[in-house]
Order: sequence, then C-alpha cells, then structure tokens
Amino acid sequence: MFKKVLIANRGEIALRVIRACKELGIATVAIHSDVDANSLHVRLADEHVCVGPAEDGLSYRNIPNVLSAAEVTGAEAIHPGYGFLSENAHFAEVCESIGVKFIGPTSENIAALGDKARAREIMIRRNIPVLPGSPGELHSEGDALEAARKIGFPVIIKATAGGGGRGMRVVNKEDELVRAFQAAQTEAKSTFGNEAVYLERYFIEPRHIEVQVLADERGRTVYLGERDCSIQRRYQKLVEETPSPAVDEKLRREMGRVAVEAIKAVHYRNAGTVEFLLDKDQNFFFMEVNARIQVEHPITEMITGIDLIKEQIRIAAGMPLAFRQQDIKLTGHSFECRINAEDPEKFTPCPGMITRYRPPGGIGVRVDSVMESHSMVVPHYDSMIAKLITYGQNREESMARMRRALDEFVIEGIKTTIPLHRRIFVDSEFTKGRVSTTFLDRLLANHTS
Amino acid sequence: MKKVKRPVRAGETRPSSVEEPIASNRARLAKDDTGLMGEHSQSIQSFIDLLKQHNLAELEFEREGFRIRLKRESAAGLPLAAKSDNMAGGVSPQTDSQAAAVSEQTNGMVTITSPIVGTFYRSPSPDADPYVEEGDVVKKGQVLCIVEAMKLMNEIESEVVGRVVKILAESTKPVEYGQPLFLIDPSPAS
Repeated sequence: MFKKVLIANRGEIALRVIRACKELGIATVAIHSDVDANSLHVRLADEHVCVGPAEDGLSYRNIPNVLSAAEVTGAEAIHPGYGFLSENAHFAEVCESIGVKFIGPTSENIAALGDKARAREIMIRRNIPVLPGSPGELHSEGDALEAARKIGFPVIIKATAGGGGRGMRVVNKEDELVRAFQAAQTEAKSTFGNEAVYLERYFIEPRHIEVQVLADERGRTVYLGERDCSIQRRYQKLVEETPSPAVDEKLRREMGRVAVEAIKAVHYRNAGTVEFLLDKDQNFFFMEVNARIQVEHPITEMITGIDLIKEQIRIAAGMPLAFRQQDIKLTGHSFECRINAEDPEKFTPCPGMITRYRPPGGIGVRVDSVMESHSMVVPHYDSMIAKLITYGQNREESMARMRRALDEFVIEGIKTTIPLHRRIFVDSEFTKGRVSTTFLDRLLANHTS
Repeated sequence: MKKVKRPVRAGETRPSSVEEPIASNRARLAKDDTGLMGEHSQSIQSFIDLLKQHNLAELEFEREGFRIRLKRESAAGLPLAAKSDNMAGGVSPQTDSQAAAVSEQTNGMVTITSPIVGTFYRSPSPDADPYVEEGDVVKKGQVLCIVEAMKLMNEIESEVVGRVVKILAESTKPVEYGQPLFLIDPSPAS
C-alpha cells in the first residue's frame, strides 16, 4: 500500500481523497494555487505545496509543478480527482515514466476513451449498442449530410475532443445541417483546440443513465449499479439519483453486463463510468466512458456501502478487488444535489465571502464540501461548492430527507442553487420519477419569477 | 513543505494570501499591471495623510510590483533616517505598530520568490561556491540560485540591481511556488 499520496486537485474532491487516505493510513500531500492557500483540504493534509497562481493552467494543471511537488515530498502516487489532469493521457503517461503511480486508468485507456468518436468505433466492433451516429470524424459538409440522412433526424453534432456537455448542437431539419456543422467545427476548434466533430441521433425525451464500474489490475471487472443523471441544465448535471426510477432489475443487469463488456474492450483499469442514453422504450445506447472518478460517485457509495475512492487506491496499489459481482448488493435509494455558487435563476456565477455556513445533518444526510463560515468562494474555478447527498430506504424517504436537508442548509453571503433544488424536489413530475434530460430546461422555462 | 501556518481559531479569518506582498520574478509570466494607480489611489491618499499626520519627511511603500516613495520638501520633524525603521517617534502606540508593520513588510525591498516547485540550491554544484552571499551586489539578470525540478536545473535570475540583504531559503530544501528566496535592497545608496 502507498505510504504517501499527492492529491492533484482542490475543493471537495481533494478533501474526499484525503479522507480516504487518512482512513487507509496513507500520508497526504495537498497541492494548491496561491488563492487556495487557506482551503480546508490544505489544512487537513499532512503536507502542502503551492504549485502556482490562481489560473489553473499555471497551477492545478501545471504538470511540471505538480510532478515536482510529488518528487520533493516523496509521494508515491497521485490521485487526480476529476477535471484538471484526471483525463490527461500525457500526464498519466509522464507519471508512469517517472515511477509515480497515477490512481486511475492507464494512459492508453484515457487516450482510447478520450477520443469520443474512436471510443464509439471500438464499441461498435464489439456489438455494443451505440447511439446511431456517424462513423468516426466527419470531414466535410457532404459527409455530414450523408451521415445524417442515414441516422435520421433530428441529429446532434458533438465535438470529438469535447466533453462535459460542451460543443454540442441539435439539428432538427436537413436544411439547417450545413450551417450548424460549420458553426460546430468553429466552436470545437476554439473550445477544445480540435475542430473534429461527429453526429449522433438525437432523442427527444431520453434519460441519461450511467453505470459505475471498477476493474482491478488483473482485469477483474464489476459494475455497481446505475445512476440517473437526467436532471441537467445545458448538459450540466444538477441532481443525480440511484437507482433510476426507469430501470428495473432485468434492465440493470443487462446494462451492467454491457458496461463491463465496454470497458473490457479497452482493457480498462480502476474506476470508470459508462454513460448510456435510455429511450422511452427501454432501449439503451452507449454514449461515452468517463475514465475517472465522477462528481456523483457518492450516491453509489450510499447504496452499495463501498468506498469508491479507497477502491481506486487499493486497485492502484495492485490489490485485487475484494468482492465479486454477486457480493455487490444495492440497498435503498440515494440522491445528490450539486450546490453551486450561482444565481438560482440566471445561473451567473456568484463568487464572494460566505458569511455563514451551516450544513444539514441527521440520519441519511452527507455533505461533501470544503466550505466553512468565512470561506471565500473564488471566481477562478468551477462554481460547485458543495454536494448534498441523502440516503433513504426507498425513493420517498430519500426525497423527504433531501427536502429537509435543503431546508436546513444555511449558506449566506453568496447566492446558491439551493432554491432551485428545493423547487425540483417538490415538482410533481420529479417526485413521481417521471423525468428526462429535458425536464430541467422545461422547469426553468415555465418558471414565472 | 512543513506546515508553517499559525493555528486559526474557529470563525477567525486568516489573512488572504492575496494581500501578502509577492514580488514578481523574471521567470514568471508577466502580470498585467495597468490600472494599478487607480487601484492604489486610495492608498496613496492614506500615505499622504500618514506623512502629514506624523510630520514625516519621507515614506516608502511597495506591494505587488507597485512602489511609491513620498518625500516632503520642507518637512519639520523627523530626519530621513527614520523612514525605514521606526517612523513613529512620539505618536500613539497603535499608529506606532501600524507604521512599524508597514516598514517591516516593505522597506523598499524586493523579494525574489520561486516561480516553480523544486529543490533550492545556492551553488551550481555541491563543491562549488554559492552563486551569491548576503551583502553581495547583484546585477539585473544575474543568476542567484538554482531550483531543481525533475532533474532540470532552473536558474533563477535577479530582476533588479541591488544588494542581497538576506537569503530566505535553505539550500537543498524543497521550495514551493511563491516561496521567498532572496531579499534584495535595490536602493542606490545600499
């Protein structure tokens, strides 16, 4: 087992990893930018290294400084969290070459799955149901038109190098395609530095269902249930739940089996998530693999009792998985709300000083956050400041706990999305479990302020 | 990186790191320093008030690449020598500590900080002499030390002409981004 791990991230996920390391008896090194010097994750780590100024390209994504911090502290492994360097194949490769263990998949895994078009091709070859889409990258408007006609409208144009819901465009009719294709290429080039785009069929009221997987270094692979992440605003997730109200036991087993096959196709190691689209007729289609631990991993932990970060560390340390598929039991129901420092109606970021912070508590409530009273929410990073997770014996209890917890949660001094979460959890369609990825955009459009 | 922060009591605000003076270093990316005068115009007025209030002849202040020196022509009161150290002389204890704090922090000195994470070395090799000693006068662009990162030796250069007043880091020990390495007195009389 590692003696010392460096956490190449900040905020709640850095704290999450530090907690797991502490429980495993592993010494921790926190890195931080100069504006994060007083962050809770820095104070709780055994050692800390400032790696640069606020701008993340110069600090959290500054590979030389991050690696140098591992070197001078003698860290044996690096946990990259999510975002930042977590899906940077080059970073994973450099870690491997200097003998520092990257806690996550291999650099080949990341490279193979990071190219979304290439990942689709790999899955198609394995007869894994894939969203009807264009074969590989589209090079011309002519290619795009031909592909769209085969797939059938409506279609969505996506950036090959994209992710996180950025660089996407829906096209409803053939006569809109060429203009949309050109615009998507330009946007992809400026956002991701790569103008390659591909096409998929666009579903009207789909659900976003993702399956958590773990694979040890011997290739033993398990799935740990699914997560329903349909509550999204502009492709950014806001609420997640497990199990999904739309997935029964039979479908769960089938999706789990396919998810395991998908990651075995690339000899995947460590934790990952296979994303599917579920249509109204219970057909599911592979979308992409997220080759990292995800923001919403806690809800899976709540219903399985398995500490996913500890499993990541154990796998990276070469230990075999301590459980088989049949040992994994899913019990109860869990929700997560992503609390962002944003205006709950305009969604503009609201950085500033949190004058009072009191998180909720009680049975079945978990809060993952580094915020405290007098914390400064800085403008340089992602606006998520806390994850509020609830657990209950069933969906009703879990929802009731979330409503209670949202009422108890005090965050003063800045605006947060808590009011929006409150609205979601009393919405009649949501409470009946009848949602799709269009739910939140519709809820927001209907709201009269 | 041992922990050097003082413990913070619950509810207490630790001074923001943004307020600590960090002098820029040649090897770092250039900062956009337009608008500093606007930013500091309130401070400038405070300094002028301080100058008048305590009948000072001269006052100097530096922060984040911005430096100001105020001098009164026919100042009745304290001699020039008072500028660096105790500017107070006959004022209330509160203002005394304030003035002392300002001069302690700045004094017209330039702090060279590390632009990277690595190991600090005062000499190019274990047997060689250190690049600089305290008291040495250095030129702009002169190599002061090495910070080694991932087997690469990065030469850290002085941004100013001046005298090395204090060496702030220990040779062969790790340093982090922004860690103070050298205190240099750039004033011509030094």
